[in-house]
Amino acid sequence: MEFRELLKAPGPILLDGGMGSMLQAKGLALGEYPELAALEHPDWLKEIHRAYVEAGSQIIYANTFGANREKLRRTGRTVAEVVSASVALAREAAEGKALVALDLGPIGQLLEPTGILKFEDAVDIFKEIVTAGAAAGADLAVIETMTDLQEVRAALLAVKENIDLPVMATMSYEERGRTFLGCDPASAALTLEGMGADAVGVNCSLGPREMPPLVEELTRWTTLPIAVKPNAGLPDPGGAGYDITAEEFAASMARLADLGVKLYGGCCGTTPEYIARMKAELEGRTIRDIPRQVPAAVCSGTCTVPIDRVRVIGERINPTGKKAMKEALRKGDVDYMLNQALAQTGAGADILDVNVGLPEIDEADMMVRVVKALQGVTDAPLQLDSTDPKALEGALRVYCGKAIVNSVNGDEESMEAILPLVKKYGAAVVGLTLDRKGIPKSTEERMVIARRILDKALSYGIRREDVYIDCLTLTVSAEQAGAAQTLEALRRVHGELGLKTVLGVSNISFGLPARPLVNQNFLTMAMTCGLDLPIINPNLESMMAAVRSYHLLMNIDRDAREFIAAYGDAQVSTTITAGTSSAPAAAGTGERDLGKLVEAGLKSEAGQAARRLLAEREPMDVVDNILIPALDRVGADFESGRVFLPQLIQSAGAAQAAFEVIRETLSGQPGRETDKGTIVLATVKGDIHDIGKNIVKVLLENYGYTVIDLGKDVDPAAVVEAARKHGAALVGLSALMTTTLKSMEETIALLHREQVPCKTVVGGAVLTPEYAAQIGADFYAKDAKESVDVARRVFGK
Amino acid sequence: MPITITKLNIDEVLRYMGCPPDKADAATRALAEESAGQMLRAVTPRWTWRVFDLAFEAEGVRMGGLLLPGQDLKDHLRGCERAALFCATLGSGADALIRRAESVDMARALALDCAAAAAVEAVCDQIEGELQAMFPGCSFPFRFSPGYGDLPLTLQGDLLAALDAPRRVGLTASASNILLPRKSVTAILGISRNQIEKHIRSCLGCPAHDGCQYRKSGGHCGIS
Repeated sequence: MEFRELLKAPGPILLDGGMGSMLQAKGLALGEYPELAALEHPDWLKEIHRAYVEAGSQIIYANTFGANREKLRRTGRTVAEVVSASVALAREAAEGKALVALDLGPIGQLLEPTGILKFEDAVDIFKEIVTAGAAAGADLAVIETMTDLQEVRAALLAVKENIDLPVMATMSYEERGRTFLGCDPASAALTLEGMGADAVGVNCSLGPREMPPLVEELTRWTTLPIAVKPNAGLPDPGGAGYDITAEEFAASMARLADLGVKLYGGCCGTTPEYIARMKAELEGRTIRDIPRQVPAAVCSGTCTVPIDRVRVIGERINPTGKKAMKEALRKGDVDYMLNQALAQTGAGADILDVNVGLPEIDEADMMVRVVKALQGVTDAPLQLDSTDPKALEGALRVYCGKAIVNSVNGDEESMEAILPLVKKYGAAVVGLTLDRKGIPKSTEERMVIARRILDKALSYGIRREDVYIDCLTLTVSAEQAGAAQTLEALRRVHGELGLKTVLGVSNISFGLPARPLVNQNFLTMAMTCGLDLPIINPNLESMMAAVRSYHLLMNIDRDAREFIAAYGDAQVSTTITAGTSSAPAAAGTGERDLGKLVEAGLKSEAGQAARRLLAEREPMDVVDNILIPALDRVGADFESGRVFLPQLIQSAGAAQAAFEVIRETLSGQPGRETDKGTIVLATVKGDIHDIGKNIVKVLLENYGYTVIDLGKDVDPAAVVEAARKHGAALVGLSALMTTTLKSMEETIALLHREQVPCKTVVGGAVLTPEYAAQIGADFYAKDAKESVDVARRVFGK
Repeated sequence: MPITITKLNIDEVLRYMGCPPDKADAATRALAEESAGQMLRAVTPRWTWRVFDLAFEAEGVRMGGLLLPGQDLKDHLRGCERAALFCATLGSGADALIRRAESVDMARALALDCAAAAAVEAVCDQIEGELQAMFPGCSFPFRFSPGYGDLPLTLQGDLLAALDAPRRVGLTASASNILLPRKSVTAILGISRNQIEKHIRSCLGCPAHDGCQYRKSGGHCGIS
């Protein structure tokens, strides 16, 4: 019987038990590679497989857990060789009495952002294994013992894109209910079912007694069959050994039938005896068939957001009408986007919209960069916002979790381009109630489009719960009748179609005075009509207040806990003033004060002082005669040991705040930039220590240099490309380890070989001036302050 | 045994930040304290260990099947019959917290990074205490890690494999031998049935060794 038929048949499915511990018991020595057992100890391996089949295993795992190119590198064996031999041997041992699973374990290197392995490289590593495994005749693939959801996604994509076998994925959780890397069962289940896994579950790390809460959580978030393959109890911290017997194991496992678990096996420390006893215990038990209904929800790799109340989508990562954001996109300054993200989640956004579309940049490339960077700093699920299917696919590939795609519209062309992507990557999708004829005026016409999008999505196999409808906000100053139509459409989509709804709220008030007032009231009206996902600026207190009040008044915020937590100590103004209020200027503020504030490292005060100063003085005058001298004084004090690194950085932060105000004033005035020259910075290939480089960046920026920060683990070729593209006269390289100095040398050599007209400055803990000279660097900087001195010498200012 | 740390030595955090504790202004000290608190809430310390017999060979020390090459560890372990190999990690939460701060506030990022360094040390101190208690009557030279002296960093992967560390505690080494999650340690603690000469754990064993401004300028921080 094939795997998918087995899943449908009544009764439990028995998997096998431990492999590593069995090989050790046969005599595998410490330092031997267990992955090579099929080639070096075929008899042992065959005996183990046979013993499991005899014990009752209906599926045995081929010994391919670690058969990836990274782990095999030092064995002199190829992936194809090891995988083929392992699968063939398992098939021989199974003699047709059990299915053979191709086993995909962790690569052994962490993926970005925690590690440095790139997602596409991980997909490629798994691709090599799955193609060999399928060719050797595996019946299914299992992805197991994973702690990073992104790595599971890579393996699952490799299976789906290259072979035609069913696939099961199980992860390893700790007692706190999360994996080492913070993934929870809800995020795993939502993501993996979305991407087309056939079964999901739990294996390794814990014993059977610890399984029920994890299984219960899984049942809330997936309709797929659930697999459980725990260790023989909890491990002894210093030795081998696990703490429960085969009898106890079997009894605990059999109780999981009441929770509806379909597939039963064992991991480390379990033996054929455990499987045989478990088989006996499960005999005659019925697997409880509990109908499961998974609610609408989105997630990141570590955080699930069910759409069971109003969830705020932050709208600020979007260049429309934002000068500073456009500038950041042109410069590739991803930090700007990260700041926007953290400010919004801090203010209460549940989900973040990400739109980086700008005509003059490569949107697809930028989208991937921004999504990857955002995943490094925030747990909030993302809404990927683009009209370019290429940008959407790039972002969906690297996005770890269940994203929202914003958007598809009622046009055939749009639906055919976008919906297959939504299905493949298991996302949710926003359907705009418009088509090539534009936005319909009447509610009925919008309903027709909403139904069309829903039907099409369902025909692609997208869940109904994953289709969100945007009824579209029309600017009330242009079409005053529009607001009522939008609200009516919301009510009907919510009531008649039972779909979740999305709405960009802020446009309603365009062209009107007192916009916050209009926005807040429209938001409240929309929520009462059934709006689930307002796209708003969460940094505006009035908007978040409307959401919190709604939750309070609708009895969603039970006992007013959240409301009181937000406003318990606050003095809330009940009037909303139109426009921005400016704090009254304090008297007696002058240049001395700004300098002093920078020296004291007071960020927000320095920004305000700069704003006041600009009323009376020229921007460049403030930069050259106040800010830079103040930074120089701090720098001199740093060199002489009167102030220390933290204060130096804080002063730089304060100067940065002042600079931002000055740049705002200057932007749009050509030829009047603060820019003193461009510097490319990178932490070299293989190295990921970038805190030192980032400190250098802050300092250089505050002396008026434009810094192109390439980040960490940067390929030499990427440094050359960036130096050329931006015409950088100076390239700064950082390396923190003796083992990565080699990459620094290679990068400098490549810059020389390619004759890039730039100087190089190097720094980092293990560097010395002598070594810097030896590898051909033009300058050595012992700390951040010295890197500024070097820049001044290179640029002459 | 689970390891929990509830407090960090703020003076140590300040020293790692490049700021002598007696010269730290109130704001810097407050930043160090706040960051230490935040870091302690973000960490999930995990560790694992194994004891091996040692054999001294011409090129180094053999521990289990693994040759640890070089002279420095060999000298360091002289007189020890066995060694406990252990690894510890603060988990990926520490890295995430620092990463988040780096895009907003570098001074805080520095303070968090240094608080994490202090936290790893505190975890290792506790582990060392636990291990020492398991071998009553024995004596122990200070713990020794790859990168100290001539013990190569390229051993990281083998040491982690010997401990089954990726599976047991989620600790891995990159191709360039960086431990990931970042705030992690592998270390070898010699065990001797006889009294051995105590070495002072000087700059060699300090986590701030690489970036230390005191050491770079030829000085010393004053911690022994």
